[in-house]
Amino acid sequence: MFRAEPLVKIQMLMLASEAPDAALTLARFGVFNPSEFTATSDKRLTLPELLPDAPAEQYREAWLEAESRLSKLLEQCGDLGPLQVPADAAAPSLDDLRELNTWLKEVWTACLACHDGEERIQDERKHLDALEETLSKLERLNVDLARLLHSDSLLSVNIGSLPANGLKRVSEALSMTGTLVSRFDHVGDHVYAVIAGPRTRQEEVRGLLAQAGWRELAVPEELRTHPQEARAWLEAERKRLEDLSGAECKILGVMREQFGPRLGEARLRVALARPLAEAALNGVRGKGGLAALAGWVPRRQLDELRAALEARFHGRYLIDVHEPGPDEAADVPSLVRYPGWLKPFVPLVKSYGVPRYGEFDPALPFALTYPFLFGAMFGDIGHGGVILLLSLLFAHKLGRIAWVGISAGAASMVFGVLYGSIFGYEDILEPVWLSPLHNPLHVLSLAVGFGVGFIVFTLLINARNKWVAGHRLDALFDSTGLAGLVFYLGTATGLASVAGASIVAGIPQNLAWTAAIVGIVVVAGFKWYEAKGGIGERVLVTAIETLETGINLFSNTLSFMRVAAFSLNHVALALAVFTLAAGMSVAGHWFTITLGNVVIIVLEGGIVAIQALRLMYYEGFSRFFSGDGVEFVPLRLEGQAIKH
Amino acid sequence: MSAYLNTRVSLYSVNLWQATDFDALLRTPDAEMADTLAERGLLQLAAGFNAPEQAGQANDPLSLEQRIIAQTLDETRVLIRPLSGAARSFLIYWTARFEVTNLKTLLRGKMTGERPAALLGRLTPMGSFGRLDNQELAHAEDVSELLRRLEAGPYAGIVRQARRAFEQSHDPFNLDAALDRAYYEGLAQRARVLEGCAGAGFRGLLGNLIDRINLVWLLRYRFNYNLPPAQVYFLLVGAHYSLTGARLRNLSALGSLEAVLAELPQEWRARLASASDIPGVFAIMEKIAAEHALKVLRSSAPAISRAFAYLILRERDLRAVRAVLRGRHLGLAGADIRLALQRTPLEVM
Repeated sequence: MFRAEPLVKIQMLMLASEAPDAALTLARFGVFNPSEFTATSDKRLTLPELLPDAPAEQYREAWLEAESRLSKLLEQCGDLGPLQVPADAAAPSLDDLRELNTWLKEVWTACLACHDGEERIQDERKHLDALEETLSKLERLNVDLARLLHSDSLLSVNIGSLPANGLKRVSEALSMTGTLVSRFDHVGDHVYAVIAGPRTRQEEVRGLLAQAGWRELAVPEELRTHPQEARAWLEAERKRLEDLSGAECKILGVMREQFGPRLGEARLRVALARPLAEAALNGVRGKGGLAALAGWVPRRQLDELRAALEARFHGRYLIDVHEPGPDEAADVPSLVRYPGWLKPFVPLVKSYGVPRYGEFDPALPFALTYPFLFGAMFGDIGHGGVILLLSLLFAHKLGRIAWVGISAGAASMVFGVLYGSIFGYEDILEPVWLSPLHNPLHVLSLAVGFGVGFIVFTLLINARNKWVAGHRLDALFDSTGLAGLVFYLGTATGLASVAGASIVAGIPQNLAWTAAIVGIVVVAGFKWYEAKGGIGERVLVTAIETLETGINLFSNTLSFMRVAAFSLNHVALALAVFTLAAGMSVAGHWFTITLGNVVIIVLEGGIVAIQALRLMYYEGFSRFFSGDGVEFVPLRLEGQAIKH
Repeated sequence: MSAYLNTRVSLYSVNLWQATDFDALLRTPDAEMADTLAERGLLQLAAGFNAPEQAGQANDPLSLEQRIIAQTLDETRVLIRPLSGAARSFLIYWTARFEVTNLKTLLRGKMTGERPAALLGRLTPMGSFGRLDNQELAHAEDVSELLRRLEAGPYAGIVRQARRAFEQSHDPFNLDAALDRAYYEGLAQRARVLEGCAGAGFRGLLGNLIDRINLVWLLRYRFNYNLPPAQVYFLLVGAHYSLTGARLRNLSALGSLEAVLAELPQEWRARLASASDIPGVFAIMEKIAAEHALKVLRSSAPAISRAFAYLILRERDLRAVRAVLRGRHLGLAGADIRLALQRTPLEVM
């Protein structure tokens, strides 16, 4: 819970023909994170050089194509329900996958043909609509279609549509050929027009019209008669389209029936092929009949993995296990297992960064401190209760994050009891502890005291992180290590003693100041040792960085005064609402009180939530948490829950 | 914000190349090439020469092309940072021509039945400017499906007419011509919104660009492809600069390159007198445009005009750098590369 699980890197050598199954077994295992290859643990073999080929590339390419076609088909065929992967199902080979891909292509092409058929019918329907519309217009204009479209040796006439925005340009261009354009209708972004010009230049016009996206309105012979007969023909065409559409639906239905079961099987095979296709992204190496996979697994599950591989491959593989060294920490993924109650807080930690391998994971302190800070700044039984209730009410929509609201609301209620505050009223309940409004200085001192404790905690964690990462000098002597801690504690105790704080009454002031001086001298010495360059530059760097140590630590401590400031602010806002409400009638009074409380919950609640997060991120995390780790992303099967 | 953009453009303009710089580049040994390119602000190209494992790729023309576009996109990304509204949308659309090229690659790939993986490898990475889902489009089954998907995407306006033209003729030329024309008409449309506030300099930049495109296309369609005048006129970009619709109609009806050049506006006739073929016309008109761009860049024109002028000049430089690098890769003599560059010093009045 406090740090990532110890991992080892495995590099597995196997027969290339068994690579898909090996990847599938690793995916079933659920905690294998593929990675780049390195030298073997005994440094004798460098796999990338020995195995220069990338045998899974073609597999991945075929899988991508198959997956793309399958998703398009499933989109057409609807939901096939949850995928059931049998425990003994094997991954398809490259040839199987290619065969599957060819079949999917055939089905998709057939499906496209049906789809296109349906689209054509739709187009024809639109065309008929347009034709009918056209006919009705021509009827109103009293134009004889038979005469208009009569073919003669001098004049060429076309009726059709083209994009409306191209009409002007087409008219200008056609005018160069002595052709006239006459628009007679506008449907959507298309215009319908009659084009008439000399037959001698018909070829020229045809080329231009093809460029312009002209669509000829094929006026059939039936329509070139009396309008009544034309109408009858239109009705007959509509009937024919209805029949055709019914036939297409039947074909689609038959196809669904015919291909449905095999599509389910195809879906399973594509899912089984996914692990190797995904592993190929990180590089599956090979040469000839050999292939190799590399990745990280939890050390404690290594035997379990070996047993799973042995059961499947009966010794036809080789595994090299490699413990990561301190210099590799940046590349090792972090696998942290959190208890269920802690999981809602993890996204907030990860929005800052992923803990580096071996680094202290701040999720637990975050889960304890964040609601505490929120409650301290927004202590009110009523407001906390509203937040808690709203979080419960919308829990199904908010998901796990609702627990953050619930804990923040509960903490707010607890502090409300301690402060004696309910919906801003300070005189209904006696404070169990103290009222911030009546004890502002005390609250401010407590906030600073909390800040000192918090910063001491972060310095200790940072020293531990540096020690574990092998940076032992930094852990002991740096400004954010133990030397910095001694300086900080000495100075804080000295200042508290000067201010007469009872908590440090037993500690001699001289001892505190001596610790502070020793601490800062050690820090300065270390900065001098670390600095590069000439004497002048080293003096400057040491002086500035030592000064910065003091300024940073104490400005960060004072930052915690905002905890007290916001608890006072909460009361002050409530007082402002009561003052406004006091000058109104009964209805106005309660309206103002209600609206004021809503404003306090939404506005101040939001600000406090952000301030608490800011304190955690910038005064806490930035001191010890690099957040530049790599997330553990295991190979997995579609529909498989992530084990960790 | 315009102060920031003006400063940024001035800082960038230091990196523009003089004719003599290309001579120096021609003489630069391979080992120093990465440093020389980095010194001139061409970090994307320098990166190709830096990594030994990429050395092969750096000399690959396709990879070089992609790096040059990446360099242009990097600089455009910095320049649009302080912009908003029409100016921002104009410069973003200016980068869209690279994506229109991707779109054409996708369409041609689908026509020839190219494998999706190979097709994806040939597309230019657009970074944050990319608006197409290349993965999805490359996996379309055929041109019709691809066009349908494109019509539902951000380039619907450009693709719609191209689809109709393609459905009628199934001619790739019609498709390309319709896409190019729609793109430049979109550019001219976006520029028109800006012309009021960006000044005469900006109008001149666009005018030079669109007029050059129209004149070169007109000559090419009319005398290389032998298309009839009406079709040639239809394929040109509709705009309102020196070559108006009426003038383009007249020019399209003429029967030879000389006759077309003789009917151009007076100031163009004088400059184009020495041109005897279409590449010659292109080179002279490009030089005229570059001279105007340099004038705008050195003036106190609005920031957007200076930024656009810089991008025009930078792209011209990058094309010449590409010619030098490719020429060196092919082992051409320096004199031949110089001839191909056709770079003479710009004269700014």
